[in-house]
Order: sequence, then structure tokens, then C-alpha cells
Amino acid sequence: MSNTCDPAMRDLEANVPSLKRTLAERMLGTLKWWVGILVPFGVLGLAGWILPLPFVMEVLIFSIYTMACNFLLGRLGFISFGQPAYLAAGAYGTAFYLYYFGTDPYMGIVAGVLAGFVVSALAGAVFVRLRSDYFALVNLALTVIVFYMLQKVLAPITHGDNGLWFLDRMRNTPVLDITNPRQLALLIWLVAVALWAFYKYIDGTIFGACCLATKTNEDKVKFLGYNDFAIRWTGFVLANTTAALAGSLYGIYFGFVSPEMASAARAADPVVVTILGGTGTLYGPLVGALAYVGMKDLVSRLVGNWEFFVGLLLVTVMLAGEKGIWGTLQPIAQRWVGRWVSESRE
Amino acid sequence: MRDVPWSGTGSDGADTKALVVEGLDVSYGDAKVLFGVSLRVEEGQLVACVGRNGAGKTTLLRTIAGFLRPSAGRIRYGDVDLVGWKPYEIARLGIRYVQQDKRVFSDLTVRENLELASYATGDRNWDIVFHYFPKLKELLDRKGGYLSGGERQMLMIGRALLGNPKVLLIDEPTEGLAPSIVELLRDVFRELKKSSSVVIVEQNLPLVADVADKVYAVKEGRIAAEISDAQAIKGHAYEQYL
Repeated sequence: MSNTCDPAMRDLEANVPSLKRTLAERMLGTLKWWVGILVPFGVLGLAGWILPLPFVMEVLIFSIYTMACNFLLGRLGFISFGQPAYLAAGAYGTAFYLYYFGTDPYMGIVAGVLAGFVVSALAGAVFVRLRSDYFALVNLALTVIVFYMLQKVLAPITHGDNGLWFLDRMRNTPVLDITNPRQLALLIWLVAVALWAFYKYIDGTIFGACCLATKTNEDKVKFLGYNDFAIRWTGFVLANTTAALAGSLYGIYFGFVSPEMASAARAADPVVVTILGGTGTLYGPLVGALAYVGMKDLVSRLVGNWEFFVGLLLVTVMLAGEKGIWGTLQPIAQRWVGRWVSESRE
Repeated sequence: MRDVPWSGTGSDGADTKALVVEGLDVSYGDAKVLFGVSLRVEEGQLVACVGRNGAGKTTLLRTIAGFLRPSAGRIRYGDVDLVGWKPYEIARLGIRYVQQDKRVFSDLTVRENLELASYATGDRNWDIVFHYFPKLKELLDRKGGYLSGGERQMLMIGRALLGNPKVLLIDEPTEGLAPSIVELLRDVFRELKKSSSVVIVEQNLPLVADVADKVYAVKEGRIAAEISDAQAIKGHAYEQYL
């Protein structure tokens, strides 16, 4: 943690002489930190000029959606089958604003994020007191409730299964006009990079360590003087507000939302993608989203039941060591990079 | 929720505080485990609780640390009644509990484990930890899950030392450890009581006889004996309680 950039812990190095690093070491650390962010997303950004734009946008949005699940599962130890509920909260927050109140898509995104924050803050106050299987099931129940509310109870304002169409209600925006698909893709790319940097930063802070410690042994977190409930609640709200942001971006991207977004049938998707990419790893959500959306878009053109291949891939990945695609590839990549660096030095 | 600032750091020693347990009854459901347990730990004292497995020693420590709520009795630290306080509030008061299980945060490095304690207590000076356990300095970047039992115990006690704690509650610190580590802990305990009150639950009788200022023998959930005379502590036949 003190190797990264948590301001509260920087003075540790001043107090503990053995932890002091040279200026060169600090600069190298900072450089590696930014390279680690910009290279993968830069590659994907460039791929946007070669690959179909909708494919790249969907990968990016799905990676944001998976970041939330990755944080819950990898950092807090929560397996949640309720992600579609938070995704739908964000999407419908945006949709309600753009359908009933305004035309500015940026304000629509803000409305979606706020809706997700409120839903997750209220649900979190109750849900994070539960652990493991009960937590997973109560979240699944929330998904079912949200789906039912959107489809039936709130049908007069959600239009039920017909959904809400607002694509033509969004007005052009200055600077980055997100009614234009290419500029929307740029916004989604920027949001994904910013969120990824944010989660990478969180990983290096005391809060990130507290989350991981809570996952390992919450009793010991209490012994240290931390309020474990506050840690779990904050992490839960943070993750699910991220899922809501993904929902909001989906809404803007399609210009349409329907209760199908909160379908319990899709509840396992983010969990599967998280495990596929590599639970708790920083690149996992991006790699998992790429594999999942790739399967869906490319394999489905060749064969009908693409889910069969995702299942097969998941089983293979699990049998290969439960580390996910990135978790398995990372040591190999590190060895290659290490070998390349040493060869180039010689 | 009580707003409890960390009170371990900055103690000037002016206010003498004793940890006093009076008539403590604790149950797990219908099963009563502690029956009217009373003990007193003066500032700077090392108090040992001995007794066989299942006597209620760990339950006593867990109750003081706030994990179990007594059905009767009081736990006072200075003039504060701790019953009903949450574990993290008690920790912030400067009463730190080191569990028996020797499990550290396995996904975090030694450095990160110490940083967690540093941040909670506001004490960023690790000299005291390295003074007692210099080996931890070499292990800073090793993950908790890859430490030996002795190293984990060092880390757990080291983590509890940050923030200049007022009272340390340590459960079976030498259980399953190599003799060299037990020797190290013996020296640590001797020094520790100069700065903090310490309560240890221990079955290593030579260690108890060597470092304790007072011994409580716990038998079937009751205090069977209280030995506070230095000579008596060294010569007592503790085996009868094991």
C-alpha cells in the first residue's frame, strides 16, 4: 500500500527508514502504474478503429459491469446474483430522466448513477449483514422483485415489456456529443479507463486492504478497531453504483431500456465473466468481458448455442487452476516480459 | 454508535486504569459457560489464566473484547463500563485482542497487515514492532498466508502493539510454536508489561510461572484460585487445574 499512492500512508516511509525508496524507484513505480492502465485500454481503444464499434462498446460496458462484480467477489468475498437489479436501476434512472424530464444525456447518466446509489445504499444496509449463500440468494430475490416491478407493478410508467424508447429524445451535447456513436464510444472508453484507474487506486489504499481483510477474517478487522459493517457497506455501494453506471451507459448506447435487463436469467452473467477473467485481478473484468462478448458475437455467428461454449470455457478455466484466463496468463506474461527485458539489457 | 477516538497513543501514564471483571456470567444459547467470574488486572501487570480446554478461558477473553455479551456482570476499564460496546469500539479504547487461531490476513503482505493497524491507530512508527520482532522487517513483502506459525504469531502480536495499547488480551500465544519462538515470546512478555497491562491465556506452565504477576486458575467456568504472591506463582501446582 505504501508502495502506491495512499496519502494517509505516505509518511510511513518517513517514519520507518527501512521502507524508504529512492526517487528512481518511486518514479519507476508511478510509471508502471500508469502503463498498466493505459496499455490494455489503449490497445482496445485502437481496436475500435479495426473491430466493429458496437462490439468494442459492448466489451467496454460489460467490463465496467464486471468490475463491480469483481470488486464484490474478489475484494469483499460477496458472490452476488443481484447485479441485474443494480444494472437496471442505473438504466431506468437514465431512461426515466430522458423519457419524462429532460433531454441532456449527461444528466441522464447522473440520474442513473444516483438511482443506482440509492438502491444499493438501501439494499446494502440490510444485505451486507448476511454472508455467502444468504447474500447471494437475497440479491437474486431482489433481481426478481425489480424485474416484476418494472414489468408489472410500474408498467404505467415503464411501459412493461415494451420498454422505454428515448433515442430520439437525446439532444446533441457540446464538446463530446454522445448522441454520435463514435463519440459515445470515446466517452465509454474514458469512463472505463477512469474506473479501472479508480479501482486500481482503491486496491492500494487502506480501504482496499480493509475490504480484503474483511473477506479473510472480519473478526480480526474488528480487533484492529475498524467498523466492519461500514467497510462492507461502502464496498457494496461502490460496486453496485458502478454496475448502475454500466446500466446507464447501456441505456444511452441503445436508447432503449426494458425489464429484460433485470431478468434473473442473466443474473449469473457477471459472476461467470468475473470468474472467467480472473476473480480479484485488475485485468480480469476486461479479459473476461472480451472473452464473453467475443463468444456471444463471434461464436453465435457460427453456431446457435454460444452459451455452450462459454460453459465449456468456464469449466476448462476452472480445471486449469481456478485463476481465470488472466490469472493463468499473468505469470506467463510476466515471464515473457522479464525475459524480454533481460535480453534487451544484454 | 459511540465515537471512540483511538486512546492508546499518547498515554502519559497519569491516569492509572485497571481492567476489572465482576461477576461475569456468559452463555452460548442455553449452555452457561462462565459463572460469576471476577478478576482484576492492574496497570502494568501481566495476568495469566490457566485451565484445561473448555474451562472458559477463551470465552472470558472474547467477552472482554466485546464479542460476547454477558448475561450478568460488569467489565470495567477505568471508569468505563465496557458491556454493550462493540469489538471495534473496545479496540479503539486501547484494549487489543490477539486470537488463538494464528490466522493473519493471508492475502495481505506483512507490510499491509501492519499498515492496517497503523491506520486504525494513527501510529505510523513501527520501531516497537521491529524492536520486539526484528524478523518481521525481512518479511515485509511476504503474504500472510506464506508465514510460519511463529512468524504469524509475531505479526499478530506486533500488529496489536501499534498504537501503544493499554491492555493486551492474548489467547494461547505459545501453542504449537517451536521452543525458540516460545523463548522469544517469554522475553517479549517480560518487556511488554512495562508499557501495557497484559492478560494471557496459557497452558505453558513454566512460561506462566516465569512471567505472570498474578495467575487465575479457571475450572469449569469458575475462578478456582487466584495466586498473586510471587513465590506462590513460581511454586504453585497448576497441574491440578489442567
